Amino acid sequence: MGFLDPGALYYLFALIPALALAYLVRERPRRVVVSSVLAFRALRARRGQRFGGWPRPDWMFFVEMLIIGLAVLAIAGPYVTRKGNPIAVVLDDSAAMQAAAASGRTRFDAARDALKDALGREGPGEVSLYLTTPQPHRAGPPFASAADAADALEHLHPADAPSDQTALSVLLGGLASDTRLRRVIYAGARPLAAPVPPRIEAFAASDPLPNYAIGSFVLRRESLGQAALHARLTVANFSPAAQTLHLAITGDGKPVGHAQAHLESGQIGVIEFPNLAPAGVYRAELTPADGFALDNVAWATAGAVKSISILFVSPTPADAAGLDGLPGIAVRVASPTSFSPKDLAAADLAIFEYAVPKEMPPINTLLVMPPPGDPVFGFNIQPTASVEITGWPPTGPLTDSVNFRLLNLHGGEYLGQHPWLQAIVTGSGGALMLAGERSGHRLVALGFNPFPYLGRQNLPMSVLTLNSLSYLAGFGAETGGYHTGDPWIVPAGVDGIVPPDGRKIKVTPGMLFTDANFQGLYQLISSDGAKSTRAVNFANLRASDLENTPAMKIEATGSGAMAEVAPRRASVTHDFILAIVALVIFEALIAYRRRRPMVTV
Amino acid sequence: MLGLPEEFTPDFLARLEHLRIKTRREFEGLGRGSHLSPRRGSSLEFSDFRHYALGDDFRFIDWGLYGRTDKLYIKLFKEEEDLLTYIFLDASASMGLPEADRKFPMAVATALAFAYVALAQGDRVMIRVLAGDGKASTPGFVYGRHRIVELAQRLGAVRPAGQLDLATALARELVSVRRAGKVFVISDYLMMINSVTRGLGLFTAANMDVTVVQILGGSEIAGAGLTGDVELVDAESGERVMASIGNREREQYRQTLARLSREIRTFCLRHGLHYTLYTTDLNFHDFFLRATADFGLRH
Repeated sequence: MGFLDPGALYYLFALIPALALAYLVRERPRRVVVSSVLAFRALRARRGQRFGGWPRPDWMFFVEMLIIGLAVLAIAGPYVTRKGNPIAVVLDDSAAMQAAAASGRTRFDAARDALKDALGREGPGEVSLYLTTPQPHRAGPPFASAADAADALEHLHPADAPSDQTALSVLLGGLASDTRLRRVIYAGARPLAAPVPPRIEAFAASDPLPNYAIGSFVLRRESLGQAALHARLTVANFSPAAQTLHLAITGDGKPVGHAQAHLESGQIGVIEFPNLAPAGVYRAELTPADGFALDNVAWATAGAVKSISILFVSPTPADAAGLDGLPGIAVRVASPTSFSPKDLAAADLAIFEYAVPKEMPPINTLLVMPPPGDPVFGFNIQPTASVEITGWPPTGPLTDSVNFRLLNLHGGEYLGQHPWLQAIVTGSGGALMLAGERSGHRLVALGFNPFPYLGRQNLPMSVLTLNSLSYLAGFGAETGGYHTGDPWIVPAGVDGIVPPDGRKIKVTPGMLFTDANFQGLYQLISSDGAKSTRAVNFANLRASDLENTPAMKIEATGSGAMAEVAPRRASVTHDFILAIVALVIFEALIAYRRRRPMVTV
Repeated sequence: MLGLPEEFTPDFLARLEHLRIKTRREFEGLGRGSHLSPRRGSSLEFSDFRHYALGDDFRFIDWGLYGRTDKLYIKLFKEEEDLLTYIFLDASASMGLPEADRKFPMAVATALAFAYVALAQGDRVMIRVLAGDGKASTPGFVYGRHRIVELAQRLGAVRPAGQLDLATALARELVSVRRAGKVFVISDYLMMINSVTRGLGLFTAANMDVTVVQILGGSEIAGAGLTGDVELVDAESGERVMASIGNREREQYRQTLARLSREIRTFCLRHGLHYTLYTTDLNFHDFFLRATADFGLRH
């Protein structure tokens, strides 16, 4: 063992005598002449006298000296020298490794056993373990020996997320090019394409397996204000023979739909479920069962299905009148001064009239005549007294059935060009209606004011209003929901997330949530205690195709010759610190709580 | 006042005047006094009859008995003599500590109070100082209440010092005791119990009427001022004890001290000795006047 900073040891020589002196001074007892020591003599625990105030042989003193000594040694940077070329082990723990053969043994089990066999053949040297999901990464510090690494493998389980194949090939290429490594052992679901770099020893658990999979599970509302939902599921047959697939949907545990589709080998189909009964959580299950159960189940949440809650933020609350009359719509009005981002947690969509939020809203939002100069959306606004509409798409969710020629607009503002919102309706001075998606949420901006909602009294404007609300009342962007392994931004107001395994993770709004590696329902808990559910699905048909697994090409530099590896210094400072912490805890728990001896001599 | 301790106020002296020493048996005195003596004498206390002899004072013939028995009997009466009072005062070094408790001044005041009671009743008093700094030269028996001033001055010059073995010291004093009488032994009794019992046992064996007064300091009993790691030095023997004193240890010390006092008290009760404990945090007047029965005094 050596020290990176041996100069620190001088402190040891200086500190310990100083402490001993301080201890002696502290421990020299006060001398008191008493009338008689008769009654005190009975207290004496040990016979004997101390000479001249020598320190009592209290073992606590030596514990404290040991703690300080260890602290000084830790400051000196102790290290041990380890020799031997390290090994890198890469274990694919992606969802595809859950696939089980007819024997019931999963690919992950096979890969792990292969790695353990390979490690058993290796000599001494450190072993670095890499995992692949959701991104390739090293699993902790290197293991001191192959046996330790083999033991660690026993505690690993595959995730529900696919792995990033590009990043994995880059990792393997980098490891194969590292001349310090003696060997790279890879075990995964994808075989390596020839030529395999000489330093890599690969075990491919990629035997073809027939598999039936759900690709996506998307819910949308049939029409604005209706409770019924429309489900759209993608299913695939990755088996060598044609197969009739049965799909059953339950809503809050009750059957709400059932359908079947006959798919040829390798065919991907779509199954629609119009008019699903309202429920909070939908679960789709595909039969017949296969060796990869993960993609036979998918989840979806309906959110606020029974009614659409609109938060109307405006300095003129009277403009919200009339929206309440729409079936299935509940309107809550707030002024811009009293608005808080937490208010959005209870709303399905927000309308900001003559106002904008101070941060990107986490729900679909309609901006009506936003004020100029806001930093969040960055509109290039030009107010105008006379609005003239010159262009609109003949078909589209926002403009269908709207007779723009009949719109009578007295005033408004042109919104100009926008970097990520598309112009839907334009006028002579620029865009009057913009629409787009951001952070998985839809946004519509209007340069004129369609409120208050007058129904049949202003039919063209009412149709445009309903089109806008219908567009915004959908369930987010059509991305098919959230996928395992994909991080997402924590919505505003949420301070806790409960994954399917039940543990609670503290989060802060706006942070990237990266712990969505398992399929199921994630509960989002707001600071006020409100809970919402988010479905996260595997939904990766490329990874579900277990019949045709393409080989992975690894590009490595160098000849494959192993470099001479100098003895490596491994710091043991953390071991010293652990020992110090353990001694301090021991002292606190045991020594300070013990019953002190009544008399020590 | 006249060299007397400050506790000796006129009121206190007046109340002491009304007290007298009560003994459990009759002792022979050296002169006439107010205590019944085993000797026959001329008091009003009837003692016995004896046959009339020629020369007897026929005023003492019991004529009623003569009428019934037709024989002459002379009535005998007890003699009233003074009581020899011995006061032994512990002036060893332990009596001087803790100084704030004023153990020795209170012991002197107690001794003088006993002496005054005896002198006021016409008894003879001998005060002997055990240990001390050697400057004490107390006379033999003193007689007459005016001698209280002299005793106070002599005891006022004594400073507690030295080591005391009670058994040895009392054995030495017993040699000089001419006649049995009332004995007061005033000490803190912070010594081995066998030394106490052997010393007091000498006086009980000599048919003395013994009153034991134990004086302890208030802070001494509480163990006040002793906290943490201390090296305790015995004021008499110089013995050292290292101790880490906390609340628990202090409580154990108090219990030990109480047990020592209890053992002395038990010994006294078993052997017919009066026993009284005085802690100096109590008012001296209240203590003394309320404990008269325990001292063996009566009004």
